Amino acid sequence: MIELKHISKTYPNGTHALYDVNLQVEKGEFVFIVGSSGAGKSTLLKLITCEERPDGGELTVNGQNLIGIKRRDVPYLRRNMGMVFQDFRLIPKMTVFENVAFAMHVVGAGNREIKKRVPYILGLIDLQDKGDCYPAELSGGEQQRVGLARALVNNPDMILADEPTGNIDPALSFEIVDLLSEINLRGTTILMVTHEHSLVKHFQKRVVEIHAGRIVADTKELEEAEL
Amino acid sequence: MKHFSYLLKEGLKNIWTNRTMSLASVAVLLSCLLVTGASILFSWNIKIAMSMVEGNNSIKVYIKQDVPALKAIQVGDQIRKLDNVATCDFISKDDGMKEMRKMVGEQNASLLDGLGGDNNWLPNAFRISMKDLSKYKETAAKITSISGVDKIYDYQELANKLTHMDKIVTNVGLVIVIALSLVSLFIIANTIHVAMYSRRLEISIMKSVGATNWFIRIPFLVEGMTIGVAAGAIASGLLHFIYYSVVSSQGISAIFNVVNLNAIMVPVVILFVIIGALFGALGSIISISRYLKKEGGSIAVL
Repeated sequence: MIELKHISKTYPNGTHALYDVNLQVEKGEFVFIVGSSGAGKSTLLKLITCEERPDGGELTVNGQNLIGIKRRDVPYLRRNMGMVFQDFRLIPKMTVFENVAFAMHVVGAGNREIKKRVPYILGLIDLQDKGDCYPAELSGGEQQRVGLARALVNNPDMILADEPTGNIDPALSFEIVDLLSEINLRGTTILMVTHEHSLVKHFQKRVVEIHAGRIVADTKELEEAEL
Repeated sequence: MKHFSYLLKEGLKNIWTNRTMSLASVAVLLSCLLVTGASILFSWNIKIAMSMVEGNNSIKVYIKQDVPALKAIQVGDQIRKLDNVATCDFISKDDGMKEMRKMVGEQNASLLDGLGGDNNWLPNAFRISMKDLSKYKETAAKITSISGVDKIYDYQELANKLTHMDKIVTNVGLVIVIALSLVSLFIIANTIHVAMYSRRLEISIMKSVGATNWFIRIPFLVEGMTIGVAAGAIASGLLHFIYYSVVSSQGISAIFNVVNLNAIMVPVVILFVIIGALFGALGSIISISRYLKKEGGSIAVL
């Protein structure tokens, strides 16, 4: 599903974000990416979403080679990815329903489809009664669930979550990751960047640790080595 | 179609949210179109005036009012005797009035109705041509020295003045139009930039869920083009109003057949609206591509 081979990334200002990173994520996996800030976690996600291009190496997502991908093909690549952000990124002047519908609208979904799909997704995240609320009327945890609903509504193959629990109460963080696990059980690949150790410890998932631009630990490799 | 109406609505909403900037854009583009239109109309009218003058492209010798027609014809014989005079045709008061009616055109001829017969103030005259125009001054002096001759009227001088005026107006107009069009492009681009910046959250979400760049562009293109269309429509209306105010207050239409703006108003409005829309689109495109390449290229919100 996601494959990085010898990927390096240097930003134009000279910052070396990633060195020779190799990572393979299979379809249906749930992976935590951990590391201190500035380690290169976000750069990793940006390479997968094609927001940044690597200096060299091989990068394949969904069987598509991202090294030579044309700019105009990037939007279609992203339609298979749901992005969840630390700051939720909900549009304040739109209701919960409209925020979720917006994601469908801008990729060309019809109104009838939207009316059917959005309530279903809101039910999935247990916010079916809050469709008419504005983001400001919701708690942080609820807002992030809306963010998750928006990421899910176009039925992506994978969810890329960048510190999704960074702005919400620790108690509610578990709720979010629970939801992600549930989504994962339905077959969606999950990549979640975090630095909350309690979450990582609690949910026994694959953990990839990045330090100073290199992958320094990968629980999957450990398991494979033990076998 | 649903999406298009949605995008259209978004574009129009931008204009309202951003009304001060939008208004400034409309005002500058409008001035640009207005100056263009005014210069063209001025030039056009000058050309009409010129063609009338050129129709009289000869030298006229006016006979004093108190000289009777018979005596005037004798003066003509004296003129014909001069070396440098090639032709010399008599134009009676009545002929002069007929020519005058022709010159002001059918519409305005009624203005001269009361001036026939005894009320005709035109003098008897001769239209002459010279063999050698380089000797114009000496010949002219000889003609004026003949008793009974009032003065020589040479339309060439008027034609030169008109041409000179036309050149100045065209050049000054061109400079103003170029400056104003650059300013309007700059202001439209800035307006669109502000609109995009105020919608950066929406844009970042659109990018993150895979909206195409065209989908993101259309509302802003609509915004720019609406500004342009508004400027074009208002400018053509204002041009019409100003043109007829000037033409009638200065009594210009009584002197000669001015450009009939009423008759060409429909194509003028269409042309102004199209030019306005093109300017609006160009201004937006400049801003949009700059934005999407720089800050908008990333999903991150500033």
